[in-house]
Amino acid sequence: MTALSLRASAAEPRTRGPRGLVWVMLRVHQSALLFWLMLVTVAAGGLLWAYGPGADAAWAEYSEAGCGTTTSGFDCDMYGTAFQRYDNIVGVSSGLLTLVPLLTAAWAASALIGRELENGTARLAWTQSVSPARWLAAKLAVPAALLTAGMLTLTLLHRLMWSAGTELHEAWAVRAWDDSAIFLTNGTTATAHALLGLAVGALVGLLLPRALPALAVASVTTLAIAGALVELRPHLWPTVTVTSTDDVPAPAAVVRDGALTSDGSRIPLPDCLGEPGCLTKHDITGYYADYHPTSHFWPLHLVETGIVLAAASVAVGAAFWLLRRRTGGAV
Amino acid sequence: MTAIPVTSVRTPGRLPRPRGLLWAVLRLHRAALVVWGLALLAAASFLFRLAALADEAERGDSACAEPATDGLPSCTAVDAITADETYSTGIAFVTACTAWLIVPVAAWAGGALIGRELENGTAHLAWTQSVTPARWLAAKLAVPAALLTLGTTGLVLLNVWARGADNPNLVGDWYHPDVFVGTGPTAVAHALAGLALGALAGMLLGRALPAAGAALGAALLLYNALDRYREFLWPTVTRDTTGWEAPRSAFQVAADGSELAFHPRSHFWPIQYVESGILLTVAALAVLAAFRILRRRTA
Repeated sequence: MTALSLRASAAEPRTRGPRGLVWVMLRVHQSALLFWLMLVTVAAGGLLWAYGPGADAAWAEYSEAGCGTTTSGFDCDMYGTAFQRYDNIVGVSSGLLTLVPLLTAAWAASALIGRELENGTARLAWTQSVSPARWLAAKLAVPAALLTAGMLTLTLLHRLMWSAGTELHEAWAVRAWDDSAIFLTNGTTATAHALLGLAVGALVGLLLPRALPALAVASVTTLAIAGALVELRPHLWPTVTVTSTDDVPAPAAVVRDGALTSDGSRIPLPDCLGEPGCLTKHDITGYYADYHPTSHFWPLHLVETGIVLAAASVAVGAAFWLLRRRTGGAV
Repeated sequence: MTAIPVTSVRTPGRLPRPRGLLWAVLRLHRAALVVWGLALLAAASFLFRLAALADEAERGDSACAEPATDGLPSCTAVDAITADETYSTGIAFVTACTAWLIVPVAAWAGGALIGRELENGTAHLAWTQSVTPARWLAAKLAVPAALLTLGTTGLVLLNVWARGADNPNLVGDWYHPDVFVGTGPTAVAHALAGLALGALAGMLLGRALPAAGAALGAALLLYNALDRYREFLWPTVTRDTTGWEAPRSAFQVAADGSELAFHPRSHFWPIQYVESGILLTVAALAVLAAFRILRRRTA
């Protein structure tokens, strides 16, 4: 009955603006939408500032103090005020980007799904000519589109900032391409992680249909997933090996290092506390290090993006399956 | 009417177990209580394990020579000891969790402790059960405050003990943000400020999720503001650096030519006290504001 009358009113031609489920989504979650727009604006502003005036001022200060030359003095032992400001802004902007998956998961589990199921507003929606599956699809698609658009923009700006600031970071020996926050936000992985946050949040919200417990569980789960992927990251692409005869080599982004014996086998560095001739006794002829050169950035990045997107699809599939079981297949 | 049977239950001669409001608060927030207990238990056992590693970690951080000479162990041997890495990562993790406690505490207090109760109307139900709104809020704040104070104090003491000789290579410099907050009374003050800010956000907004979000934002802001301005909380010492190199323990604040302004290690306690004072003032003001809003709401 209600469905019929609603359908009739929905059929009336509307002149502008989003309609139907999309409109409901944007209206119910308008504060989240505003927050997201604000976050994107702040991070984009920070990144653009760091790309332009921030980096220029930091370089000017660096060359004024004569750093990087033989005459560099005490001033080069501490960050100058311009670099400090640059460093703060870069840190806050990258930090905001790395926070997005966590915030998304917390919001999706509580405000997007958990609260609706707890209050019964989800059930109300399902009686209004919206099937549960379409309801969940809209709940996921609208934020996913907004997240993707925002994250891709921010990623591009971050790449711009990083390509202009790599040397500045090298000069002050802070941040390298393989630092977690920099690696994540320099490519597609950041967007994939945000989408995974959304999917995990939605799944947890359906599993635990109460706003606050779902929020807590989704936050902890996302933190654990992010931590596990940081551990896994170096092993997602074959490493390059460098060897040396006198000391353990130390290139950037080392994954594993140790000692080599005369027959070429790899052993961990032996415990030779102060023993003369100990290395010969262990038959050690050299040292090795497995590492990732800068050229491994994209392979590592794309593999991780694939894994994260696959995990997100599994979570979304599980969420739809769970919803179907809950609502008795009335899809 | 309802008040009469409730008071008659409170007859003397029963086993000592939590009763009345205390019991209600513990029972209602048992999930948070269990999480807090388990987290403390996990942190404590982890710290005991780390403390047992301290000596081995110290050996792994020793000075070395290649080849081994003059009583210095060979660098290869020192490199082979991995305990120092396990030890310092573990200590840094526990310290960071202690230092950032303000964030989850604020979100919980805003969301679950106050916001949800007002949103669902369970607070109004409680106020009809012979509990005045002021006593209700007092119990809501006092019970978590006591548990947070006890737990955080224990955690900080255990952490300081597990740091052993306080070698900055292993456990971080005293002025590192996490280390500074996580190893002194400021940790407790931070947690209490989080509780008070959460309660205020809950009373102001009266809804679980917005209150949790607002409290989280306020806690992050407070934490970062203190982190940013910590160096100004106590007057620095200024010294001429010609022919003198600042030790690692100097928290360097500003350099002007050869004049260096810094905090020596001995400024740890004054800065801790000033920061705790600020946090407790913020907490007191937030609690006061929460009570005023409650009075206005229920007047």
